[in-house]
Amino acid sequence: MNLSLLMPEFTALGVLLALLVGEMFCKDFSSRLSAKVSLAGCFLVLAVIILNAKARGTAFDGVFTVTPLAIFFKVFFVTALMPVILMAQEFFPAKVKHPGELFLILWCTLIGSFFLSSANDLLVLFIALEIVTLSFYIMAAYIRKELISIESGLKYLIIGSLASAFLIYGISLLYVATGTTSIDGVRLAVAAAPGSALFKLCLVFVLAGIGFKVASVPFQLWVPDVYEGAPSPVVAYLSTGSKAAGFVLALRLLFSVFPSLEHERTLLISLLAALTILYGNLGALMQGNIKRLFGYSSIGHAGYILIGIAAGGVEGVRAVLFYILAYGLTNLAAFYVITLVGKTLKSDRIESYRGLSHRSPFLAAIMFLALLSLAGVPPLAGFFGKFLVLLAAVNHDLKWLALVGALAVAISLFYYLSLVRKMYLEESVQTSPILVPLPARITLGILAAAIILVGLFQGPALSFAAWAAQSLF
Amino acid sequence: MILALPWISMLTAFALLFVPKENIRLMKQLVLGSCGISSAIVLVLFLKFDPSKAGYQFLHRWEWIPSMGITYQVGLDGLNLTLCVLHALVSLAGAFMSFGEKERMKDYLFFYLILTGAIYGVFTALDIFFLYLFYETTLIPLYPMIGIWGSKNKEYGAMKLTIFITTGAVLALFGLLAFYHQTGLHTFDLIQIQQQLAMHPLSRGFQEWLAPFLLIGFGVIASLWPLHSWSPIGYAAAPTSVSMLHAGVLKKMGPYLILRLAVPFLPLGIQRWAAALSVLSCIGIVYAGYAAIRQKDLKFIIGFSSVSHMGYILLGIAAMNPAALSGAVLLMFSHGVMAACTFALIGYVYEQTHAREVSDYGGMAKLVPFWSVCFVMASMASLGLPGFSNFASELLVFIGSWQHFPVVVGLAVFGVLVTAIYLLRMVQHVCYGPVSERWPKLRDVKTLSEKLPFLLLLGGLLLFGFWPNGLLRVIEPAVGALLK
Repeated sequence: MNLSLLMPEFTALGVLLALLVGEMFCKDFSSRLSAKVSLAGCFLVLAVIILNAKARGTAFDGVFTVTPLAIFFKVFFVTALMPVILMAQEFFPAKVKHPGELFLILWCTLIGSFFLSSANDLLVLFIALEIVTLSFYIMAAYIRKELISIESGLKYLIIGSLASAFLIYGISLLYVATGTTSIDGVRLAVAAAPGSALFKLCLVFVLAGIGFKVASVPFQLWVPDVYEGAPSPVVAYLSTGSKAAGFVLALRLLFSVFPSLEHERTLLISLLAALTILYGNLGALMQGNIKRLFGYSSIGHAGYILIGIAAGGVEGVRAVLFYILAYGLTNLAAFYVITLVGKTLKSDRIESYRGLSHRSPFLAAIMFLALLSLAGVPPLAGFFGKFLVLLAAVNHDLKWLALVGALAVAISLFYYLSLVRKMYLEESVQTSPILVPLPARITLGILAAAIILVGLFQGPALSFAAWAAQSLF
Repeated sequence: MILALPWISMLTAFALLFVPKENIRLMKQLVLGSCGISSAIVLVLFLKFDPSKAGYQFLHRWEWIPSMGITYQVGLDGLNLTLCVLHALVSLAGAFMSFGEKERMKDYLFFYLILTGAIYGVFTALDIFFLYLFYETTLIPLYPMIGIWGSKNKEYGAMKLTIFITTGAVLALFGLLAFYHQTGLHTFDLIQIQQQLAMHPLSRGFQEWLAPFLLIGFGVIASLWPLHSWSPIGYAAAPTSVSMLHAGVLKKMGPYLILRLAVPFLPLGIQRWAAALSVLSCIGIVYAGYAAIRQKDLKFIIGFSSVSHMGYILLGIAAMNPAALSGAVLLMFSHGVMAACTFALIGYVYEQTHAREVSDYGGMAKLVPFWSVCFVMASMASLGLPGFSNFASELLVFIGSWQHFPVVVGLAVFGVLVTAIYLLRMVQHVCYGPVSERWPKLRDVKTLSEKLPFLLLLGGLLLFGFWPNGLLRVIEPAVGALLK
């Protein structure tokens, strides 16, 4: 067995243990130090992934596999974690007694999502997913003295358990029908029995689990409430890392387990995609809280990514991956701004963004850029993501879906621009400036540059996505 | 050289971010420098352009994303050369006019340069992907520019304009993606598509299905009736240089993209919808003309007048023959320069008085003679007085489309009369009559740097008014190639 395949996981585990030991035995191990160790750990893990990028193969009797797709997602998860750590370090010390523990849970999430990316067995897939989801239950309810945070954690837990139940029921049905939990084994069995109603039923159950994680209709109801109540840095990772984890699940299950049910997949997913886009974008029109607004917006974006899955093929998956990348970059920048503004003003109301351009021109400019990218305006990263997704839909004879997606862009522009109006056109009652610490300045600068560069020079990111997408087929 | 056109402005815009806020002088120099150099490049290209040669000139091509067939390709034919000349004139004049903005000058100039660069991008790119990318990039700066620095109802105007044009843009995007799929060539390269489709045209059914998406999508920004309502409100709200660029140049991107993409690739589709398009444009001409008569606000009059004039351009496109199309392209140029000049003039006075109603003014010819001369000239150009290029172009449109839609053209000619009514009334009230007592301190356009934008624009109008052939000699071969 080739244990070197697990180098990134071992490294991450090492960082987790280091943090744990530090927390337990050193009295003066502050949250600041935890954040530093975590950040350094992220760079270390990223380096290990890149150094081992050539390694391919399976471990543990084939339940663990390293493919370009897995590498793509691991790079995404660990990169997305970096700004989240910085956000958490800004946000939590003022709110809770032991902010250091949060970093431990963040690392658990990361390890869970690493195993999720590499899982080649339905049970491992499920367990890895549960590690990720359980960590998020805790993190959503992390601010114990705030009722709204606990409520959001509880809500997430209840709906999440229901979705997990559906998913594990689907998996156990598959096991009953095929006698194996190996992804390759199940795929062969499903392909051997075309038209079997049982497998179609399994597909529906599995979709419930996916729908919850990626926040698609009809499992999207938790999103606005959880986004509103959970701490901002956690929401930042929930909307990028956790969503991406949901799409790992979707890609693996739909394309590695059920490739033979292509017709049903296209039909179901394209319907869900259209409804999700409309629900998210129409719901966002009338929001008064910025985190709720981003909750609805994240539902809308899940819909766009689902378009790529409905289209399928290398082209569709490539679009999915590029979209996740672009959306992740943009949403992290936006949530960084939300964290900083929320910390200073003690409010997430959209009203409190009035006159932000006077109070902090830098934050307002970053938010403006992020909103434009989310709306899909060129030459920013979000535009090319939407372009790829719509192109994939048109190329796979889903013209109506592409039209729905295209028109929803105009709707989304309305609420994104309304926020721009608040920031730039309206005057605020208070005029005290909002201070931006140096690490935040640097990180936001890098994220903004990345949004522009990925949008202008789409080639490298697209090749990376295509390289990962090809390995799925 | 041609490659530099969009990027000079874009890079200067980013350089501007590092200029300290207080150093307004340096900012002005940067903006003037970048617009001036771009305009000089356009002038050189215009002089070097050889009308006797077929096809595109100054071609450059870079593979951008080979796996999707995206290339960054630039080049000029008579069509976009004319529009580049238009943009060179208007953007330079607009740069002078944008120095009037006092607050947050740096941000304004930043957006102005991004807008200018993106428009050059649209007018030089010869790849569908980049055409669309630059086209939608022009939308970014408009919302804050109108919203922050505009006047009267600016938030509503800015939002309405942005949402309308974006809706059109995404409809067109959908159409273009469907087109890319249907050709099966896996390339966005216009020239390659042109060559292929010349041999294997798309099926009639598909062309007829696709044409409305492009016509409506790009028609919105050309203020095609009944999708025009963003236009007068948006222009009335916008600051001077945005009104100039938008009414003068941005609006012409709609007909330009229809000419560039729909006319050569979907000729059968356009023919199928030509009658409907001609009727809509005729309604636009007459309806907007009547609406202009009823307006009291100067900027609304010009806003509706521009809707009405865009109708002639769309009518010319609907006719799809060389004369009408040449007229439409020439009118794009003439109307652009004229509209920019009028908005610049109104903006010049508005900055001092903050009043825009016709009744606020009177006897301006005595108060501010130079301004009035320019205002009268621009208005005369607008109503198609011979000697201005508007006359030649409207005539060509009428001649060209007469044989296809005699009834529509008959009604549209009636629109010229309506135009004369509101423009002459406006000129009469504003420039002549009893001198208004309200503005004793009104300043005329005095220094050379103040006069320059007006001289530039009116000079352009008169030059090509007396010498329409200067533009027609490059437009006609290009139009011929489109119809082939």
